[in-house]
Amino acid sequence: MIEARGLTKKYGDRTAVDGISFTVHPGRVTGFLGPNGAGKSTTMRMLLGLDRPTAGSITVHGRSYADFPAPLRQVGALLEARALHPGRSARDHLRWMAASNGLPVRRVDEVLDLVGLTDVAGQRVGRFSLGMGQRLGIAVALLGDPPVVVLDEPVNGLDPEGIRWVRTLTRQLAAEGRTVFLSSHLMSEMALTADHLVVIGRGRVLADCSMPDFIAEHAASFVRVRSPQRAEVAELLRRDGLEVTAVDDELRVQGRDAAGIGELVGRQGHLLHELTLVSSSLEDAFMTLTAASVEYTARDRTPAGATR
Amino acid sequence: MTGTLSTPVPDTVALDPNRHVPGARDPGFAQTLRAEWVKFWSVRSTPWSIGALVALGAGLTVLVCAVSAADLAEGTTGEAAGSFITWGMTVAQITAIVLGALVVTSEYGTGMIRATLTATPHRGRVLAAKALVLTGTLFVAGTVTAVLGYLGGNWFLEREGIGLALGDDGILRSLLGSGLYMAGIGLFAAAVGLLVRHTAAALSIVLALLLVVGNMVMLLPGAWGEWATKLMPGNAGSVVATPVSFNPDLLDPWTGFAVFCAEVAAVLLAGYLVLRRRDA
Repeated sequence: MIEARGLTKKYGDRTAVDGISFTVHPGRVTGFLGPNGAGKSTTMRMLLGLDRPTAGSITVHGRSYADFPAPLRQVGALLEARALHPGRSARDHLRWMAASNGLPVRRVDEVLDLVGLTDVAGQRVGRFSLGMGQRLGIAVALLGDPPVVVLDEPVNGLDPEGIRWVRTLTRQLAAEGRTVFLSSHLMSEMALTADHLVVIGRGRVLADCSMPDFIAEHAASFVRVRSPQRAEVAELLRRDGLEVTAVDDELRVQGRDAAGIGELVGRQGHLLHELTLVSSSLEDAFMTLTAASVEYTARDRTPAGATR
Repeated sequence: MTGTLSTPVPDTVALDPNRHVPGARDPGFAQTLRAEWVKFWSVRSTPWSIGALVALGAGLTVLVCAVSAADLAEGTTGEAAGSFITWGMTVAQITAIVLGALVVTSEYGTGMIRATLTATPHRGRVLAAKALVLTGTLFVAGTVTAVLGYLGGNWFLEREGIGLALGDDGILRSLLGSGLYMAGIGLFAAAVGLLVRHTAAALSIVLALLLVVGNMVMLLPGAWGEWATKLMPGNAGSVVATPVSFNPDLLDPWTGFAVFCAEVAAVLLAGYLVLRRRDA
């Protein structure tokens, strides 16, 4: 379990993380989502004791990271920026990390095998592709078989097969009862992997809810209606209590499904040119949510995806 | 929690208690030391630096003895043979400085420091292990280099009848002192590396301080110049590494080395405080 309480980080007069609080529970994948520069990596660094919070705290099982005598056996982390010396071989990198936490060398071969790097273990990591580097990072995270796994942008640079592998792996780690905390700026990836979402923008928590709740609340859908008798149709639908927005030559209707709207319009004998259910994607929902945080504007009533 | 999930979410999960890697031990300083040792020897810069140290230190001593043995025997130079028998170390110290700086700054340059500190969040322990690995290696390499230089250089001196015996005044002291000085100057560079976190900057500062400022202060007038010269780290620390110093005005070998150690300790303390307080 990871707990952030009033966590704040300021660099000079710039506030990177602005008093955020959230809890990451075991047994599920919690996605940490935000645009670049939202404060995700700063939060991760504070979690790992690399950066000191200006105020507040972030703890694992109630303890600060620095208080663990063998932290790799408690928290496994993949850091976004590569934390590797390019001249060292993958095996040597894992070897010194294992030594530092009193782990047997045998474990190095196990994780190399797990991430599929056994054949290139002796190569200098400077020659690794981005994807191989990510795999090595995941090997590092799993080295101590930790109950808490923190992955910062794990699918960056991976090919589709690698992305699927990470997805399966994170789901499996959560199913084993581990706490999995996964950061990404890609909503589409989160939608497939995470059970729970913590969304941040400009250093503040914008949403902290389950994935279904997030979809229900933010990924709104509407029915697009086109008709040569636009004004009459709009009037008709409004009278029936539906929410209607006119955009260009179309009407966007919320509050009833396409069939219901079609019947209502048809009974009055109006002509319909189009009647389409438009579901906005999670990506759009995320964009809308975070864009609002950037602009500090009041919540727009236009459903997400309306700009399409 | 506002979440409603299709599957119930437990607040605590009992992981298999045997899940942990079998054979794992609780880490202490020995594990940190072991980790730093593996790190130190698994990059190419280490064997290269040590190789260069031995080649330059021993090779230049032999060369300078071979070239000047005849003149020294005639006594026309006005210098003692003891000033030449560890001469190569004055050049070899550059490799010790490079190695010392890299041990720290390569971690910051590559981002490795983040891996290091997540593996061992106890920053003082990391620094102590690093310092021990670096100084231990440099002490052994420096002493071996000085002995090799002595053996080779003395062969030429003996041919001219001015050979130096191991039992002669200051010979053994200078051979061990070469190892001590290499360890000290490497640690000094590492400490500066902790302060500036940048390879080129650390090297520039240390080399300028030793090779440029250390000699320039001799130009300062009066007692100021005299003491500044005596107290500059390179000048104070290197006397212990040579049987007879070229500059007779410098501090005595062990006094000088004590001053040098205090200076290294001061910079190292500053480096430690920065390592502890600043974000990695």
